[in-house]
Amino acid sequence: MDKQKELTEKDQWLVLKRLLSYLRPHKKPLLVATALLVLTVLGDVLGPLLIKVFIDDYLTPGTFPTGPIVGLALGYVFIQVSNVILSYFQMLKFQTVALVIIQQLRIDVFTKVQHLGMRYFDKTPAGSVVSRVTNDTEAIKDMFITVLIGFIQSTFLIVGVYIAMFFLNVRLALITLLLLPILLWIIYIYRKYSSVFYQDLRERLGQLNAKLSESVQGMGMIQAFSQESRLQDEFNDINDKHWEAGKRNIKIDGLLLRPAIDLVYALALIMLLSYFGITSFDNVVEVGVIYAFVTYVDRFFEPINQLMQQLSIFQQAIVAGSRVFALLDEKEIVPHQLDEPKKIVDGKIEFRNVTFSYDGKNDVLKNISFTAEPGQTVALVGHTGSGKSSIINLLMRFYEYSEGEILIDGISVKTYAIEELRKKMGLVLQDPFLFYGTIASNIRLYNEHMTDREIRAAAEFVQADRFIHALPEGYSQPVTERGSTFSSGQRQLVAFARTMAVDPKILVLDEATANIDTETEVAIQTSLERMRKGRTTIAIAHRLSTIQDADLILVLHHGEIVERGSHQQLLKQRGLYHKMYLLQNGIVE
Amino acid sequence: MRVFWELGWFFKERRKHYALGIFLLLLVALIGVLPPRIIGFVVDEISRGTLTPAFLIKWLSILAAAALVMYVLRYIWRLLIFGSSILLARNLRKQLFHHFTRMSPAFYQRRRVGDLMAHATNDLQAVQQTAGAGVLTLVDSLATGGFVIAAMALTISWELTLIVLLPMPILAYLTNYYGKMMHDRFHGAQLAFSGLNDKTQESISGMKVIKTFGQETEDVADFVKKTKKVVDENIRVARVDSLFDPTISAVIGVCYFLTIGFGSYFVVNGDMTIGDLVAFTAYLGLLVWPMLAFGWLFNIVERGRASYDRIRVLLAEPADIDDRKDALDVRPAGDIVFSINKFQFTGDDRAALKDVHFELKQGQTLGIAGKTGSGKSAILRLLLREFENYQGDITFGGKSINDYKKQRLREAIGYVPQDHFLFSTTVAGNIAFARPEATMEEVVEAAKLAHIHEDILNFADGYDTVVGERGVSLSGGQKQRISIARALMMRPELLILDDSLSAVDAKTEEAILASLKQTRIGETTIITSHRLSAIQHAHKIIVLEEGSIVEIGSHEELMNKKGRYYEMYELQQLEALVEQGGEA
Repeated sequence: MDKQKELTEKDQWLVLKRLLSYLRPHKKPLLVATALLVLTVLGDVLGPLLIKVFIDDYLTPGTFPTGPIVGLALGYVFIQVSNVILSYFQMLKFQTVALVIIQQLRIDVFTKVQHLGMRYFDKTPAGSVVSRVTNDTEAIKDMFITVLIGFIQSTFLIVGVYIAMFFLNVRLALITLLLLPILLWIIYIYRKYSSVFYQDLRERLGQLNAKLSESVQGMGMIQAFSQESRLQDEFNDINDKHWEAGKRNIKIDGLLLRPAIDLVYALALIMLLSYFGITSFDNVVEVGVIYAFVTYVDRFFEPINQLMQQLSIFQQAIVAGSRVFALLDEKEIVPHQLDEPKKIVDGKIEFRNVTFSYDGKNDVLKNISFTAEPGQTVALVGHTGSGKSSIINLLMRFYEYSEGEILIDGISVKTYAIEELRKKMGLVLQDPFLFYGTIASNIRLYNEHMTDREIRAAAEFVQADRFIHALPEGYSQPVTERGSTFSSGQRQLVAFARTMAVDPKILVLDEATANIDTETEVAIQTSLERMRKGRTTIAIAHRLSTIQDADLILVLHHGEIVERGSHQQLLKQRGLYHKMYLLQNGIVE
Repeated sequence: MRVFWELGWFFKERRKHYALGIFLLLLVALIGVLPPRIIGFVVDEISRGTLTPAFLIKWLSILAAAALVMYVLRYIWRLLIFGSSILLARNLRKQLFHHFTRMSPAFYQRRRVGDLMAHATNDLQAVQQTAGAGVLTLVDSLATGGFVIAAMALTISWELTLIVLLPMPILAYLTNYYGKMMHDRFHGAQLAFSGLNDKTQESISGMKVIKTFGQETEDVADFVKKTKKVVDENIRVARVDSLFDPTISAVIGVCYFLTIGFGSYFVVNGDMTIGDLVAFTAYLGLLVWPMLAFGWLFNIVERGRASYDRIRVLLAEPADIDDRKDALDVRPAGDIVFSINKFQFTGDDRAALKDVHFELKQGQTLGIAGKTGSGKSAILRLLLREFENYQGDITFGGKSINDYKKQRLREAIGYVPQDHFLFSTTVAGNIAFARPEATMEEVVEAAKLAHIHEDILNFADGYDTVVGERGVSLSGGQKQRISIARALMMRPELLILDDSLSAVDAKTEEAILASLKQTRIGETTIITSHRLSAIQHAHKIIVLEEGSIVEIGSHEELMNKKGRYYEMYELQQLEALVEQGGEA
């Protein structure tokens, strides 16, 4: 459960206004839908009028001239039939608009997510971001479809009904206007209390589920410390409070929802009958008018009933909306590029006194300087937390650095357009992420113009073709969620092929730490060699054996370069690198 | 409808509430036929011009009284029936939780947290619906439908009632048919939605790859495609959904048409009055809801049954480790003899432990070394009596641990697990987890022993700082030390540290081990660790490999042997050096 700060009335209003602003681009279909709605309301209002005419002009006097009767009947049938058709299209149109609006909102949120900086993902759990894009927008969809459309429809219907009543009998219509403040008052009171009670119920449900989920996860501990009965008591306490909250909600619903509205309906009937009854003492009253009024009053209570039951949907949508907008307004965006039309030609990389911190307090990189000449391989070694990955994160522009400078071909990385950087720099991640799809689609990604031949060539280049050919469906072999059916070595090879398919100038490698079977390991090593040929390479190595031929090895410790040189030079130094080497080879001196 | 039968025990338990609630529902349905009838009477008098004030006042008073009574009764039956349904949910939830506390770790390995949560939330919700809205819908639709039809047929005209009811089955049939169509299409919409969800999940997990290849725009385009699919599927739903209201009004329109047509005929013939006709049309309006409600009812009941079945299956799972009938009600103490010939986890054909025999005198410390999966944790879990299906025996103070009451055995063991799980409460609450009645001094003392006291004082609210999922985030080392303090609070006969010093630095580790040694005189300790520094001072050390003991002895003995232990020790010295940046 996300902790949500209380929304004030004003905040709620702002969220609603912003949600409604999404209607603006859809004026035309909305106008069509509203026009259809007006026609259906017209039909709803005219039907009882025709019957009124029939009752008063023909049934009461008892004369049935064929012509007018057939005319009335046909008219009634025509109105009914066209009403059925019109209201179908009206409802469909409204729903379609609502769906398209939500689609736009979703696209907006997702696009925003794509442009958020990695920092945002560090501090926000993936699940909650996904929830913003899907579940919260879904809650807003429910509001648009049920509450908003319902509100428009009932408003028009109520207005239509009142117009008809005024047309029939101005005085009585004026009297029935008295119903409106009563209804509005009930709605106001209900909203006032139910929003509090309902919020309370939801919060308690959240607590209940949190307690339950925590207890289930920590059950081993609870049992080991024999605290079962205490936890049961604690849970029962929350459970009871949730139950109490549930009872309060049933009470408020029972007092102010349908039973109350039905009571007002009875009041309306009493008003009508008194009016007609009292009038009848002195004047003749047309039965048809009574019929029409009774029918009209009956018509307009149902939508009010439904609307009130859906108020909680409205409340949830506002909360969801505020979360969605908070994401849309998020300022933690990707590092800025100057977008100058410069090209990377040689692939020379230089770090100049780069200092960097994720949180603004603890420096994870301190004064890092090194140069990778075109075609050279620079290896980064060091234990976990030494800053290896941060160097790559900065080079790839995942994070913005504030001190020092990173240059490619002598120009700051900030100068290039991001497209140029992405095209010329290929990164292979430690945990090669495979997408749902096929082997081929994982190599191609979204490059539609990449031919099958190019895909094969890339796979062959990194020697992934051998295992791919062994798959029952070869390149069309389905890849399930995160590629879990493939070994980590195979995933790594696919990731290599993916990178080679775009033929980058600079290669950035984060070597896999996971266990890889020997056969794949050999393939990986040979492909790595081939990949590095002619490309500037920055590689994080966990196994020192893989980088012995690197032109420069940087040994990092606590964000500083503590040793640098070639493999042989570093071994001779008998420093940290030497010890790491011994450790990895299991040599006890 | 079987689910009503299966929930019979609850209806019986709350029979007074349900009986009264249903009685009131019936009463409301019965009173509900009055208003249209009153309209009819008044209209008749008006149309004949014979209305008297007395007559008007009498019937309107009845109408007002009926409305008020209905309001009150409706409120009461809601309290009775809906109140009972949430009570059912509360009680089932309580039962489930109680049941969860009795289940062994094997159960939690088999079942995923998400599934268990789903049972306790969605399934309970569905059962609650059945016992509330389900009962209401069943009774109310039958009663209202029955009474209204009876009122139409008996007080107005049975011929007209028959004629007018003819199209009603068509309405029931059509809405039912739409319902089935909706079901399929709704499924499609749900699939599209979960496709969208998966897509989003994947994009966020694979964010770095997408950024690396500069494919943000393309990924958004793919997302747009998915949202398009969601829209399309939902429009398919809307196409059917939008049919409901027009169909209802069409069929009702036909009914009205028939009423007016045939009704007029009867009026002209003198079989009916105009007031009857008006009343009849008002009754028609009351019939719509029962017709629709039936479709709904099947939906609620179907979901309720499936959910209740799942809950019952879950509740029926037996707790796999129970106390013996004549189990010892004493807290075990004394020597521990571990003698296992063979043990394997269910569903794994490899032996987790094979021929593991050792003895641990009261007051001694045992160190267990070995790689992940070598069987270290298996030994501890058997000691904690999480499993019973092994060949061999484990004795504690001369008696098999299976002879003690589970509760008493656990009281004697202070367990610090590998995955230090803290609860969402204060630091003090976590430390005093096993003894909530402990004084603050005791808590502080335990914290000092675990060398976490200073850290705690630096937290914003000291010992009152809330930790866990929704609290401040602690480092792994801090969590481990709080877990140790928590176990020490029990003053356990046997303290088990399951690789629980892995995240603290060497100096703190040493300090903790030293204070344990000082305070736990005469008490037994078992420590497993990757890092040999944590166990090198133990009286006895065993080295495990693939579930068997390969070396056993004290640190000096094992070092002299120059075997596995020696090798591991030397390599770790080197590793420690590397971690410190190469300088000793």
